[in-house]
Amino acid sequence: MTETTVTEAVAAQSGDVLGADPGMRKRRGPKNWRPLLLLIPAFVIVSLFFLAPLIDVFIRSVTDPQPGLQNYVWLFTTEANLTVVIRTFGTAILVTIVCLVLAYPYAYLMTIVSDRTRNMMQLFIMMPLWTSILVRTLAWMVLLQDTGPINGLLAAWFGIGPIPLIRTTFGVALGMCQVLLPFMVLPLYSSMAKIDKRLLPAASNLGANPVTAFFTVYLPLSKPGIFSGGVTVFILGLGFYIIPALLGSSKEIMISALIQQQISVFLMWGQGTALGIFLLVCTILILVLVSRFNKNGSLFPGVDR
Amino acid sequence: MSTLKNPKTRRGLALLAGSAALALTLVGCSGGGNDEPAPERDLGTPVAGEIEAGVLDGVTLTFAGSGGIFQEGQTEALWDPFAAASGAMFTQDAFDAGKLKAMVDSGNVSWDIVNTSQFDTARGCGTLYEEYDYDQVDTSNVPEELITDACMVPQILYGLVVVYNTDAFGDDPPTSAADFFDTEKFPGKRTVSQSTYVDPQTIEFALLADGRSVDDLTVDDIATGMDKYKALGDDVIGWTTGAQAQQQLEAGEAVMGLVWSGRGYGAAAAGAPVAPMWDEWMIMVDSNGIPKGVSDKQAALAAVNYSIGAEQQAEMTELTSYAGVNSEARPDVDDQLAEWLVTEHLDTGVSPNIDFWVDNYDALSATWAAWATGN
Repeated sequence: MTETTVTEAVAAQSGDVLGADPGMRKRRGPKNWRPLLLLIPAFVIVSLFFLAPLIDVFIRSVTDPQPGLQNYVWLFTTEANLTVVIRTFGTAILVTIVCLVLAYPYAYLMTIVSDRTRNMMQLFIMMPLWTSILVRTLAWMVLLQDTGPINGLLAAWFGIGPIPLIRTTFGVALGMCQVLLPFMVLPLYSSMAKIDKRLLPAASNLGANPVTAFFTVYLPLSKPGIFSGGVTVFILGLGFYIIPALLGSSKEIMISALIQQQISVFLMWGQGTALGIFLLVCTILILVLVSRFNKNGSLFPGVDR
Repeated sequence: MSTLKNPKTRRGLALLAGSAALALTLVGCSGGGNDEPAPERDLGTPVAGEIEAGVLDGVTLTFAGSGGIFQEGQTEALWDPFAAASGAMFTQDAFDAGKLKAMVDSGNVSWDIVNTSQFDTARGCGTLYEEYDYDQVDTSNVPEELITDACMVPQILYGLVVVYNTDAFGDDPPTSAADFFDTEKFPGKRTVSQSTYVDPQTIEFALLADGRSVDDLTVDDIATGMDKYKALGDDVIGWTTGAQAQQQLEAGEAVMGLVWSGRGYGAAAAGAPVAPMWDEWMIMVDSNGIPKGVSDKQAALAAVNYSIGAEQQAEMTELTSYAGVNSEARPDVDDQLAEWLVTEHLDTGVSPNIDFWVDNYDALSATWAAWATGN
């Protein structure tokens, strides 16, 4: 009841402001909900292929093999699981930071070069995305191994080595960064491109040295890009499976391998689904936490509204 | 509230509900629907490797294997000729135990024959796999000890074998499981399985190095075996896929490895200086399993019966390097492949303690999960 009154009042008000005839009021109501029909396909697909399986996964985690919380007890009391969970988040954070450090100057450069150079730079960023992740990881395997070309050159030129590159956190982070870098560069670039280039000279005119100008003017303005790229890279990084398996040792294995093992090898679906739900909840918590730091409180920072 | 009274809103909601229902129906229809019982045919007394021409016209069978050169070889040597002779159509898929469980649980089984390990069929016998009707499969030329549970007909024989670099140890090669763990006498990195997939033979091999027999194992032995590898420290590296094991041997990353015999052969065939150690090795058998609730069990049995024929098995060996299970099979192999054929070395091979591993699988999986994740 009240809802209608408010809506009508608002409609009446805006009608008055627009100076429209009263007949327009009647057409306003339906127009408001009609665009919602466009949501139907997405709604149906999301509920069928995401929501329903997700509910199924959750139910399994508390009913398989018998009702109860034993799968979560197993998750939190098994030392091996906790090591892997901490390692997974640690690796994702490390990769996010490295990507940010690499991508920030690159994206900045993209905003100041000529159109032609920018297209080239964009191509360099996009090209890896078009190559199979497996092929790229195998290439790293060959390059990084003890008997590979990098260690070969080190031995031939400097007489050192072999330095352990493969089967280390370094190797895994390198492989993951190469895959995830575009997801950091592109949002950074799109947010930097919108920053008015005259603000920096203006800041120096007002007495700021370049460092101060960067930290007080440019960096805050590029924050949406940092958040958006950071969140994307971090969340994608949590789910990596192939790269830790091939470039790391057992000491770099991440949570997705643990889930795969429980589901596909041990057929312990209760435990596998509990791991999955745990990862999902952690991810959501982190997203909410990050959104607190973002000025407009958006869960998807960097999205223009 | 009152917006629901608006006829157009209600139509919108009805449309939404309708499309959801339609989508649900579509999903429902795509699964199952195979309610017709398969026809019983008179196939006569089964003879391994034989099938009556055209008897399975119109039947489609799906084989789920382990991929790579192995599945290609099986297709060429076993399933394509079977399809041509019986009139059945054969499709291929990749095996995954989790996927099989999903199929069986949902009553929507789209595989007819799978290639898996003998531990899988033993563990899932009666729940995930159909029990065999051995009257319909001619196993007369298959050594009895290879049939390790009621839900399997053996598919291939292979081994978990120590493969060493001949440049490193050619003059004084390792000759026992104990040598594998002796980093003073045989310095260098060793590679062993840290795959999420579990070969219990990996643990048995470590116990063997301590002079234990695999016939009497206790739960404590599982940790003891794993500790043997952990004690190697930095000298042990892991492989997570067969291809990776082969790559590490080819590149010289590992001077020794406990790997599947076919992967050792693969490295040798690619020119790597590697040789197998046959003094002590672990026998492995892959199962032909038939998923529980298969739509046409008789047809699946006929295909399995055909696949263990002497001729078919010989050709499969020539194509894949994996030894057949039919003792009458006479594959025509070159000297290099002959060196890697496990059937030449069965006297020194150690058979796994299947019953123990089936009974103690939970303890095994917990220990293995910790090992495979660096704990």
